[in-house]
Amino acid sequence: MFDALTALALCQYGDSAYPAGGFAFSWGVEGLAADGLLKGAADLDELIGEHLEARWSTMDRPLLRRAFRAADLEAVAVIDRLADVATPSAPMRDGSRRAGRALLGVSARLGHAKSQAYRAMLDDNPRLGHLPVVQAVVYRDAGLSLEAAELVSGWTLVNGLASAAVRLGIIGHVEAQGSLIAARGQLAMLVAELCPDELRPSSFTPLIDIAISRNPSRHVRMFTT
Amino acid sequence: MNVVTQIATKPVAAARVGIGGPVGSGKTALVERLIPALQARGIDIAVITNDLVTAEDAERIRRSGLIDPERVSAVEAGACPHTVIREDPTLNIEAADALERRFPGVELILIESGGDNLASTFSRDLTDFWLFVIDVAGGDDIPRKRGPGPIRCDVLIINKTDLAPHVGVDLGRMHAEALTVRANRPVLLTNCRRGEGIDAVVAMIEKDVLFRA
Repeated sequence: MFDALTALALCQYGDSAYPAGGFAFSWGVEGLAADGLLKGAADLDELIGEHLEARWSTMDRPLLRRAFRAADLEAVAVIDRLADVATPSAPMRDGSRRAGRALLGVSARLGHAKSQAYRAMLDDNPRLGHLPVVQAVVYRDAGLSLEAAELVSGWTLVNGLASAAVRLGIIGHVEAQGSLIAARGQLAMLVAELCPDELRPSSFTPLIDIAISRNPSRHVRMFTT
Repeated sequence: MNVVTQIATKPVAAARVGIGGPVGSGKTALVERLIPALQARGIDIAVITNDLVTAEDAERIRRSGLIDPERVSAVEAGACPHTVIREDPTLNIEAADALERRFPGVELILIESGGDNLASTFSRDLTDFWLFVIDVAGGDDIPRKRGPGPIRCDVLIINKTDLAPHVGVDLGRMHAEALTVRANRPVLLTNCRRGEGIDAVVAMIEKDVLFRA
């Protein structure tokens, strides 16, 4: 499916150590754990599944695909605005933008032209910079195919969730690998499914959305989301 | 517009100074002393805190009345205070860039890390200069342990000097050992509670970071 250079690029961009601020986002793991709804590996596997099926594949993936195929950066910005209005939770919107802008910043500093140009556009547009849209710009800039970009997008989400659970002491390092192996199969299955171009981005992850929305009001928290 | 004019009219990026060190060593207290001292010298500043568990440090500085609260940004460290300043400083870089956009005249951004261990260092992609704060009550053997933080920082600060006699620390010896392990690179002594030693820190920032005489 991928040649050696692309496979290595996937390893680099999908690594949890890739410096794009991912370590600061738990995407609901911290909040659900604080509310007693996430207690171990089984709960984490369920959460990863919900994220992948009810958010990533129906929201992030179609946004990424549209942005990846956009004719120019103005068209990318239109999709970015769609991401903004389709995300009702303010902390979720803020988290998505912060994560996206951090990723874009690294790509721009690496000298990638489209990333630099889009980053300049964001200076005057505080509502833009959502993660799946930026992923499209950055991974296209890095020479990845759309299929490869989708995989990195899904994998960095999974990796971030498992990593946050380890750092919060919810699961151990071996359990985390078990969760990642299970998620690999699920992600592979999802990307094998068709994603029609006309699919309107949507999500239905109420517990996750509530957990993230409650995060800013928690006195004790370590993650942005 | 010729090249000289372009360079002369281009906005100068703010210098970024990191302040790291263990929990409780006095990093926030140092920031609270540096803010008025730097402002008194006409230096336009902003602050970023990296909060480990709460927004405690950012809120403390915002409520201090020392600085416009809008000039204080907080970055969550995702349980990894060293990661946010070393392996992956992207969120701090973005926060600093955002402060520069919002306050175009800002000359200096202080970036306080979350409390961490002696191995904590700042990425050179994030800061131009960094201070590492330890305190006498943490043990006079800290310099001898030769952690990357105390060794590699631009300035090592030994804080809470007033406590030395109460915790059985020979301050002179601790200072001398710190200078030895750092090959005589700067080691400054402070008592942030009383503001002692702050002028020397500010003078060093003015000279070595802002290049003012």
